[in-house]
Amino acid sequence: MLYRTTHTTRYLYAEPVMQCLSLAHLTPRSFPGQTVLESSIQVDPEPVRFGRRRDYFGNEAASFSILQAHERFVTTATSLVRVERRAPDAPPVGWETTRDLLAAYPDAPTREAFGFVFDSPLVAPYRELADFAAPSFPPGRPMVEAARDLSHRIHAGFTYLPQSTSVDMPLLEAFGKRCGVCQDFSHIMIGALRSLRLAARYVSGYLRSGANYQGAEASHAWVSVFVPGAGWLDFDPTNDMMPTDGHVTVAWGRDYGDVTPMKGIALGGGKQVVQVAVRAEKVE
Amino acid sequence: MGWRQTLGDDTILESAKASGGVWRYAPPAGHWDEALRPSGYPRRHWRTLTLALRRIGVAQLSRRWQIGQQLIQANGVTYNVYGDPQGKERPWQMDPIPLVIDAGEWVGIERAIAQRAALLNLLLADLYGAQKLIAERRVPAELIFANPHFLHPCHGFTPAGGVFLQNYAADLARSPDGSWWVISDRTQAPSGIGYALENRLVSARTLPSIFNQCEVRPLTRFFEATLGALLSLAPVRAADPRIVLLSPGPNNETYFEHSFLARHWGVPLVEGADLTVRDNRVFLKTLAGLERVDLILRRLDDAFCDPLELRGDSLLGVAGLVEAARAGNVAVANALGSGLVETPSHMAFLPSLCRHLLGEELRMPSVATWWCGQERARRHVLDHLEDLVIKPAFPQPGQQTEFPASMDQAARADLARRIADSPDRYVAQEQVDLSTAPIRTEEGLEARHVVLRVFAAWDGASYSVLPGGLTRVATGDRSLVVSMQLGGGSKDTWVLGKRETEPSDSQPAAMQLAGRRSSGELPSRAADNLFWLGRYAERLEHGARLVRALLPGLSGEGDLGSAVSLDTVIHLLGGLGYLSAEELGGSIAQQRWNLQRLMGLLVYDPSQTAGLGWSLKQIRRVSWQLKERFSEDTWHVLQQLETDFSRTPPATPEQRFVAAMTLLDGAVITLSAFAGLFMENTTRGKGWHFLDIGRRLERALQTSALLRVGIAEAPFDIEPYLAVLLQIADSSITYRTRFLTKMRTELVLELLLADEANPRSVAFQLATLVERVEKLPAAADTEAEPIGRALAEKALASVRGASMDDLATRDADGDLWALDSFLAELRTGLYDFSDALTARYLSHLAPSRLTLRR
Repeated sequence: MLYRTTHTTRYLYAEPVMQCLSLAHLTPRSFPGQTVLESSIQVDPEPVRFGRRRDYFGNEAASFSILQAHERFVTTATSLVRVERRAPDAPPVGWETTRDLLAAYPDAPTREAFGFVFDSPLVAPYRELADFAAPSFPPGRPMVEAARDLSHRIHAGFTYLPQSTSVDMPLLEAFGKRCGVCQDFSHIMIGALRSLRLAARYVSGYLRSGANYQGAEASHAWVSVFVPGAGWLDFDPTNDMMPTDGHVTVAWGRDYGDVTPMKGIALGGGKQVVQVAVRAEKVE
Repeated sequence: MGWRQTLGDDTILESAKASGGVWRYAPPAGHWDEALRPSGYPRRHWRTLTLALRRIGVAQLSRRWQIGQQLIQANGVTYNVYGDPQGKERPWQMDPIPLVIDAGEWVGIERAIAQRAALLNLLLADLYGAQKLIAERRVPAELIFANPHFLHPCHGFTPAGGVFLQNYAADLARSPDGSWWVISDRTQAPSGIGYALENRLVSARTLPSIFNQCEVRPLTRFFEATLGALLSLAPVRAADPRIVLLSPGPNNETYFEHSFLARHWGVPLVEGADLTVRDNRVFLKTLAGLERVDLILRRLDDAFCDPLELRGDSLLGVAGLVEAARAGNVAVANALGSGLVETPSHMAFLPSLCRHLLGEELRMPSVATWWCGQERARRHVLDHLEDLVIKPAFPQPGQQTEFPASMDQAARADLARRIADSPDRYVAQEQVDLSTAPIRTEEGLEARHVVLRVFAAWDGASYSVLPGGLTRVATGDRSLVVSMQLGGGSKDTWVLGKRETEPSDSQPAAMQLAGRRSSGELPSRAADNLFWLGRYAERLEHGARLVRALLPGLSGEGDLGSAVSLDTVIHLLGGLGYLSAEELGGSIAQQRWNLQRLMGLLVYDPSQTAGLGWSLKQIRRVSWQLKERFSEDTWHVLQQLETDFSRTPPATPEQRFVAAMTLLDGAVITLSAFAGLFMENTTRGKGWHFLDIGRRLERALQTSALLRVGIAEAPFDIEPYLAVLLQIADSSITYRTRFLTKMRTELVLELLLADEANPRSVAFQLATLVERVEKLPAAADTEAEPIGRALAEKALASVRGASMDDLATRDADGDLWALDSFLAELRTGLYDFSDALTARYLSHLAPSRLTLRR
């Protein structure tokens, strides 16, 4: 499936900003199952420097600085992405086997995956999350089945409620309220998996516009889980599904903080208003 | 009960008695004592010191210690204690008896520390690079994956020369058998070297002859020896790289050290907001514009250095710094991310890493450490919990060391459960047995446990070690806790064996990175602080003169002829905003009593924004940020002010009156000394101009306010007011000699408003301001003339053009309306001037974070 994705972030300031440095994760990445054919980022006002590099996790990180006074800052990222993912065919490896394999990290892929087993700045394996995870992980249960069940239970037990949480709200607060948005659900699932010493990463991306998904109007987030023999498999607890062709992957990391679509430090500006618009239109 | 020992032999006790003190020293058994052998005789390398101490005796040592304390106070050596309600600075605690280390033993320490620094540097280079050590399983992958001090954005780029650790420090402890152990590593922004230097200054001055007899290795050589290597880390751009010292600011616990080192090295002390990143390059904001920075000596922890790529909740750092360092456009020492190997969890792996990376045995062991993330280690820890100390594996602010030995059953069980729940987060270490050393107390000598912090720096080929260090002393006589935060003390460290060629430290010359430092352009924030220092110093002086003139009016006795009436006091204090109207009601007796109380608050209470205490607090705040720019004399004068005002006011009203008068007289003189140093001993640089502009502006504002309240708004019977005004403005004598007449409004106005020859008049301030703004840095191309000149000239012209007779003429209602509106206009003009200056030179926009709200 071929998508044209457009991600616009618009900041409006009450007072002029004299200088602004930004860091963005807005370019979808290519990997088996997804190919990025075209990609560009437009910044207004014109930045004096535009840098791109691969970050630690292999995502493209763009950085740009604006040195002229401005009261409006608009970033538009557009890409043409082909997504051809098949439903996974995972071997029935038990979750304990997965855990033990990660701890032993016999090869480079498992060693890399092992990097996603531990606390990250926004996700810690709280006892509450361990207790929540337990019913999905009886002894010997295959990894994929257990992760599906966990994802399903988050979908069933939590209310999707835009505006109910803020970006800065601690994970446990969302967990306690049993509501949130895709970012909270993903963090909860990641924390629950890590409490069992399983590897889970945070994926940011887009959902096909017009489909009956929750979270398509803004940038979306889901979870990737390491399964021996199959690699990383995606689970979307917000929509209770394993993503196939409807999800466009932009970047992954340990949590939201590693792949924040857009962040920056501005000098001046006063009160700010931010508007975000995301589209992933099917081209063919 | 340990054995009682005397220092040396019985003759010591005898001569000590003769000098008036009991010279007993009895270290507890079971520990290594630094000074005495178990037999009770001094160790060989302590003999010169103990003999000399015996000679001078307890009483004399106490006197020497007093001198040391005064030096510490005069130099403003402090250590900030977080959360201390008493205010942030606490005098540095230093014991006069140094820790002596034998030359031969030092060689071993030196080699071990140089080796360890090199080893940790190689470890960092691998973990932030190829990570072969992990792939080859020489260190567990968890050590970086579970470690919040592993900074992902810093992975994948190597600092110049592969030097991650430009400087390094380690804490050493000596076990009962006399061997040294490393108990912690300091790798991101090691602190303490400035305090070690300051301790040396104090000990070399308080015990000069003993110091020379002992042939102590000098410290300053170390900096010279490592300077070239430091400079070689900067990107090659110019022959003289520009260096700055980046500090978190005056609230940091070791801020004294930051300003001490900045001054010692002759480099600007900056905070994050003074730097800016443009086009991947780092610049210092100065009055003349942006100046490129090549090398940042940082005292800011890793995670706080860049709010864009590292911790976003902190604005202490410099946005874009990581990327500028990644591009190789700026060197940061130590390299960003170096805190990774500061965590105790890696210690267990150092012996094998040393063999692998350096091909040699680790020369000094680390304290036995078990990281609970490994199953075998975890089992050992849980089985031997009460024999161990439990620490966070990856320490974060606020996390504490736990001592299972002193816990009850429940607490220990809880700790065991926490370890079992998240084993990665804990390490266990053997309880370290610290050696003891003698300290001076009021009761004589006592034994305290000590920890020695030693320092190393990259010297181009390997690491050089400072021949000395910072000895830290435990808080109590049995305590093994050594923490400056918790009130522990410190000692100088004397490494013996000075070489013939080495210069002595008794008068260490300030190290100058001369020619390599900033071009002398004043950082904007320093200019801002100098401007405000000028304003607050003037405000304080004016306030002191005012209160001093008015206080006699409250005593209710004394020479009634010269005393100011209560009404005058109330009118002036109320009109000038020192007191509010509701505070001033009631009967005469009530008013007097009330006023006495309020005046006390005005003088002493730092929370009264109109008061003297508040101005003093502001002076303290800005001068701390300017400390490295002041001469020692200037600093002593400011410390004197601090000392004067910090005396507790006496209990009875009469005593309090006398004390307040003495205090104010003293303050006026001290402030005059400050002004004198500033006029006579300070180069007319841009900083000087800003301070003087602040002072002149404040004096013009204060004097015109005084004229408004004391003349324009005063009651019809104006004579007593005129007398007080002249007194406050230090112009009584001039008036008497010049006019030889009784008080007349137009003559007082002539003297205090229009006379350009009187340094206390408004016109004098305005004329000076016009002169000063001429000298400010060249304005941007678009600005035709110096900022503020037109405004200052306009105000001056209006004063020159005014007729004092007209201004002193009352209108039909008996009011001085003309004067009132003239002064109001003048005040507006002065504020416009201040705004224009601030906007051009001193404005600081607050940074803010762009966030994505949903």
